[in-house]
Amino acid sequence: MKTANIRLFTGLIALPAILLQDNPFGIMLQALYVIVLALTHGRKFRLLPNLILMLSVSSAHLLQPNGYLIVSIGSFPITLGALLLGLRKAFTLIALLYLSHYMVTGRPEFPGRLGKVISLQFYYFDKITSGWREITPKRPFIKAVDTLMLNLTEEKAASIMSIGKDEVVFNRRELLENILHTVVLWGLFLLGAWHILPTL
Amino acid sequence: MIPRSKTNGRIEFIALLAAFSLFLSTVEYMIPKPVPFMRIGLANLPLLIGLGLLDSREYILLALLKVLGQGLVTGTIFSYIVLFSLGGTVSSAFIMYVLFRYGRKWTSLIGISIAGAMASNITQLQLSRLILFGDAARLIAPPFLIVGLITSVILGVFAERFVETSAWYRRALEKQL
Amino acid sequence: MKLNRVGDIVILALSITLIALSLGTYKDFSGEPEVHVRTDGGEFIYDLDVDTFATFEGPVGETTIEIRNGKVHVHDSDCRNKVCIAAGWVSSPGDWIICLPNNVFVLIEGSLDKGDGGGVDDTAF
Repeated sequence: MKTANIRLFTGLIALPAILLQDNPFGIMLQALYVIVLALTHGRKFRLLPNLILMLSVSSAHLLQPNGYLIVSIGSFPITLGALLLGLRKAFTLIALLYLSHYMVTGRPEFPGRLGKVISLQFYYFDKITSGWREITPKRPFIKAVDTLMLNLTEEKAASIMSIGKDEVVFNRRELLENILHTVVLWGLFLLGAWHILPTL
Repeated sequence: MIPRSKTNGRIEFIALLAAFSLFLSTVEYMIPKPVPFMRIGLANLPLLIGLGLLDSREYILLALLKVLGQGLVTGTIFSYIVLFSLGGTVSSAFIMYVLFRYGRKWTSLIGISIAGAMASNITQLQLSRLILFGDAARLIAPPFLIVGLITSVILGVFAERFVETSAWYRRALEKQL
Repeated sequence: MKLNRVGDIVILALSITLIALSLGTYKDFSGEPEVHVRTDGGEFIYDLDVDTFATFEGPVGETTIEIRNGKVHVHDSDCRNKVCIAAGWVSSPGDWIICLPNNVFVLIEGSLDKGDGGGVDDTAF
């Protein structure tokens, strides 16, 4: 197993622990853990879009009232059961999102021919982004795109072989850290499943 | 009907289109949107342009690369979100390809673009109903569909113009005949 | 507009029809029947369309309601007379069941009428 793929596999193994989590506190803790994980590995966390996500998912669930009526805004009821369900779904989504972010930070390589094509895709992507900046008359638009594409198709992508492999130096530490992450996430799942965590 | 003589060249060609799709999705990402769920679908442009240039298997590969590339770059590839992207792109690509293959006489890229966008949006709404929102997904359906309709028309018009005027497109077309 | 071919117009028309239909769902959302339960502990709300059981605490013990197939009834109660259980199933907005000893009041609120349910029984002619 290549170093680059360690985080990938960690994420895959931890995935069920998040999906199966029923407890609202459990999923919240898992989400927080994963967010910190992603943050410490270079990904950013922007509050606003995540907040909007949580609000929309939660409020969508509030439309189907369930359980204790906490407060009524006008005639719109805010019920506890619906709120918890919505929050749980929202946190699950966010947890998965940031887990997924973490999984790709190690620059995993995909095996086989598909992996090669994807690398090729990213190679061209790189060329397009840098090439686009250099094209000065960006109007008329279609003509500019045309020039860019023509230039690119000229290139021999025999350099697919030389696509830089940014090797993450293998260390034990990476492996151990990821084992820790897996244990924590599964531990949180078990705490939730055994009702050790409060449920409200 | 597209000669399989240089398969390597074809793979590169598809990768190039897929890379363009990726580029467009990053462009779209940078456009500020009031609501995060409103997608413009710029990344579908290569899918429209590629209709006349690729056979069915190549087209499937392109669609797949579009989803995977987007998923990897945004880091969402192992979350629920990629499911929406996958579902939308697959249904949209299917409809667009079928319409193009059999309906080219009656409809231009504009109609195909609209059909693709509708298919994609409906699929995504259904998925979000199942996974995220429950029945409340019906509420966001109308604005979602309306935005999709408008943007797909614009995209379709652009694609038609491109296909007519682009020298690159003409060259790519000639290479196969 | 340049290339207006027949297919384009057809697809456009279909799409607009679809959107118009989806707008119709806005009407359904207000007025969905809900089961409101008022007890000492507060008010609880449930969707009449979702099958479920719910238990409430009161002065004399527990009262449990069951929602099934768009109807609700008192499934079990710790009160002495069990009048509330005998009341049977209700399903129309405005219908109610009460367990006085245990202070549990079940009321169906909403404006949609559930078809032929409600109070009209077989009035045979």
